[in-house]
Amino acid sequence: MIYLNLFLQFFHIGLFSFGGGYATLPFLYHMAETQKWFTTQQLTDMIAVSSITPGPVGVNVATYAGFTTSGILGALIATTAVVIPSFVIILIISKILEQFKSNKHVQAAIYALKPAGCGLLAAVGIDMFANNINTPGMAFLLLLFFVSKHKKHDPLFYLGVSAIFGILAGFLHLTT
Amino acid sequence: MNKSFYTIFKTFFKVGTMLLGGGYVILPLLQSELVEKKEWINSDELVEYYALSQSVPGIIAANISVFTGYKLKGFIGAIAAILGVITPAFLAIILLASLLQTLVSMNIVQNIFWGVGIGVIMLLYLATKEMWNKSITDKFTCVVFITTFIMSACFKTSPALIIICAIIAGILYRSNLFEHLKKMIGGENDLS
Repeated sequence: MIYLNLFLQFFHIGLFSFGGGYATLPFLYHMAETQKWFTTQQLTDMIAVSSITPGPVGVNVATYAGFTTSGILGALIATTAVVIPSFVIILIISKILEQFKSNKHVQAAIYALKPAGCGLLAAVGIDMFANNINTPGMAFLLLLFFVSKHKKHDPLFYLGVSAIFGILAGFLHLTT
Repeated sequence: MNKSFYTIFKTFFKVGTMLLGGGYVILPLLQSELVEKKEWINSDELVEYYALSQSVPGIIAANISVFTGYKLKGFIGAIAAILGVITPAFLAIILLASLLQTLVSMNIVQNIFWGVGIGVIMLLYLATKEMWNKSITDKFTCVVFITTFIMSACFKTSPALIIICAIIAGILYRSNLFEHLKKMIGGENDLS
């Protein structure tokens, strides 16, 4: 039964997540709060791991969340479920490409979907910020913020320096 | 050029392996693999698939792979492409997740995760900022952003419900019905 539920949950993420990259996160965050399969803290770890492993982050996180919930089979089910909507939707659009592009309702929906995807992601960011940050963490985040103002860096750069900061903070007992 | 199930799978497997840190690097990767090396599609087609992939739900990398796979070899090509692009992600996570389950009890690993949690917030900020630049263009999109944010952050509304509301709002806003209402409200304002 858990497998069916897992399939349905990830299928609905694949069907509704909009905006690429981290667009699946608001759904997973909601899932952590409602399904209790994993905690929001575990989700943060999953995002970090997914950002440093090959493959689309959305697929990575789905695999990871499925694996955490119920092992290899869970991982397989979650990964398959999250991409099935893409597969079906794109196949349909490929067949009606011209009508799709020029349809005014499609255009109108996309016009509203972009800011909605952005708002959902911002809400996750604020929530994580409110729940996970202590004073040293805040100071470090401010530092990262100023670094990003001066020069554009790769996601890997931020995760790398954060990992080093975590080790240092551990030695100095700043992590609690 | 050979376009068998295996070569399509192999090409997308390679792209999946090189995708790191968010889907935004996929365009240059596909440009190099599909347009320049394999010459399967041209640049214009790729850019069009990329734009369309962002305009529909789902993971962008998966969407764009299905588009290109379908163009190359129909249904079979689409399957080869999507399997190719997700397999490296799947394998990498399975390996790493099993490893992490044993490592996570170590103090240093916990500290790394604590630090990386801050980095993740930074990445979310950057991703949000990039989406903001692309999507908030006028009053309506700004209202949608604020409404979505409040529904999600304060009321914990299901994201799927929010997405459905956004679709309806967008269609209504751009439809003639709304134009009509705006004229009516505008008319009242003129009178006062």
